[in-house]
Amino acid sequence: MELLRQTVWLLRKDLLLELRRRESVVAMFFFGTLLLFVFHFAFEIPPDRAAAMAPGLLWLAFIFTGTLGLTQLFQAERENHCLEALLLGPMDRAALYLAKVSFNLFLMLLVEVIIFPLFWILFNLAFWELLPSLFLVALLGTMGFCVLGTLFSAVTLKARARELLLPLILFPLMIPVILATVRGMEILLRTGQFEEAVPWLRLLVGFDVIFLTAGFLIFEWVIEA
Amino acid sequence: MRIVIRGLSKSYGLVWALKQTDLVLEPGECIALLGPNGAGKSTLLGLLSALLHPTTGEVLIDGQRLDQGSSPLRSAIGLLTPSGHLYEGLTLRENLHLFNSLYGVKKSPQEIDEALDTVGLGRWREEYVSALSSGMKCRLGIGKWLLLQPQFLLLDEPYGVLDGSGVDLLESYLKRLCRSGGTVVMATHHVSRILTLCSRALILRRGELIFDEPRQQPWESFHRTFAEFLPRGDQWSS
Repeated sequence: MELLRQTVWLLRKDLLLELRRRESVVAMFFFGTLLLFVFHFAFEIPPDRAAAMAPGLLWLAFIFTGTLGLTQLFQAERENHCLEALLLGPMDRAALYLAKVSFNLFLMLLVEVIIFPLFWILFNLAFWELLPSLFLVALLGTMGFCVLGTLFSAVTLKARARELLLPLILFPLMIPVILATVRGMEILLRTGQFEEAVPWLRLLVGFDVIFLTAGFLIFEWVIEA
Repeated sequence: MRIVIRGLSKSYGLVWALKQTDLVLEPGECIALLGPNGAGKSTLLGLLSALLHPTTGEVLIDGQRLDQGSSPLRSAIGLLTPSGHLYEGLTLRENLHLFNSLYGVKKSPQEIDEALDTVGLGRWREEYVSALSSGMKCRLGIGKWLLLQPQFLLLDEPYGVLDGSGVDLLESYLKRLCRSGGTVVMATHHVSRILTLCSRALILRRGELIFDEPRQQPWESFHRTFAEFLPRGDQWSS
C-alpha cells in the first residue's frame, strides 16, 4: 500500500512537471510526425503490400520517438541532484521505477494515439476497423518498450554519453518486442483475425511480465550503483 | 542518535578519498568537519548519508548498520546542501508536500505553510523553485528538514549562500536539534562561524582524519593543526 502511495506521488510529480514544461511530449510528438513524413516521402506503400510494410514503419516511428522520451525520463532528477534527495529518504526504490514506467507509458500512448491515425491518413491505408485491435498490440509492445527502456535509462543515468549509449544497449534487447509487435500487427492486417495474432500477443505479455518483475526487483541496485 | 563509524574508507579508482576512519558521534553533538578541498569531507558526508558505498568499513546508527536501499533508518538522516535537493518545476509548497509524502510524514497544508513562514518564504509559497535565489533554496531546504525532523543532520557548506538572517535561522535550528538529542555534522570552510556553534571539530587531510577534539577555550591544538590550511598571511583566532 505504501509502495502504491509513493508511486502515485512520484507519478503525479512527473505529470505535473510535464504539464508545465511540455518538453518531452512536444518533442516526441514532433519527432514522430516528422518521421511519418519522411517515411511518406521515402516509401510508397501499394495496397497489396500494406500489411507487410506498415507495421514495421509504424513501429520504427514509435521506438525512435520512445527513445527520445527515455533520454529525458530522469531529467528532473538530474537537476538540483533531486535523485539524491529521493535516494536519501526511506522511499521504496521500486516506487520510482513503477512511477517512471507509468509516466513513460502515458507519454508514449499519448503520442501513439495521434500518430496511429495520422499514419493511416498519410499512407491512405484501408482497415480502419482494425485500428482498435492494432492499438492493443501496440499497447503491449509499448509496455515492453517502457519496462525495459526505463530500466536501461536508469542504468545509463550516470554515463557520460548516455544519449548514445542507451539505444545501443536497449535495441538489441528489444528485438523480441519489436518482432512480436510487428508480426502481430502484420497478421492482423493480413488476415483481419485477432485470434491469429494471439501467439504473438502471448509473447508480448510474457515479455512485459518478466521484465516488469525483473525491473521491479533489481531497480534498487541499478539506481544506487 | 549514536553513530559509530568503523574502518570507513572510500576509493575512486586508485585514489583514496577517505582512509580507514573510526569515529563515534554522540547524541547532542554538533560537529564541524573541516579540511582543504579534496580532503574527503563530501565523501564522508556521502557515506554517512548512505548515498555512497563504502569501499571498506561500516556506519552504525544506534547499533543498526546503515546500508543503501530503502531502510527505515533513512528517515532519521537529513542532508542539507545549498541546492536544497528540490524540484525546480514545482512550487515551494508542492516540493514540501511531495517530500513529506515520500517520507510518510503526515503534515497538513497549514503546517507546511507555517514551516515556509518560519524560513521566511511564506510570500513565495506558490512560486516555482526555479524562481528562487540560491539562498532562498537553502532556506527552503531548512524548511524541508524542519518538517521531516531528522535526528542526524548532515550539512554541506550551507553558509556560503545564506544571508545574515538565514545563518541565524539555520543556527537556531541546529542548536534546537542538538538540544533535543540530535547529531549534526557540518562540512564548511567558514571556520570562525562554525567554531561558535560546534561542540567538536574534525579535520581531514587527504582522506585522513588528522584532528578530532571537543571544543575548548583556548584551543591551541586546533590553531596549530588548522593553520596550514589558511590562506597565506591569514591568522585564525578563536
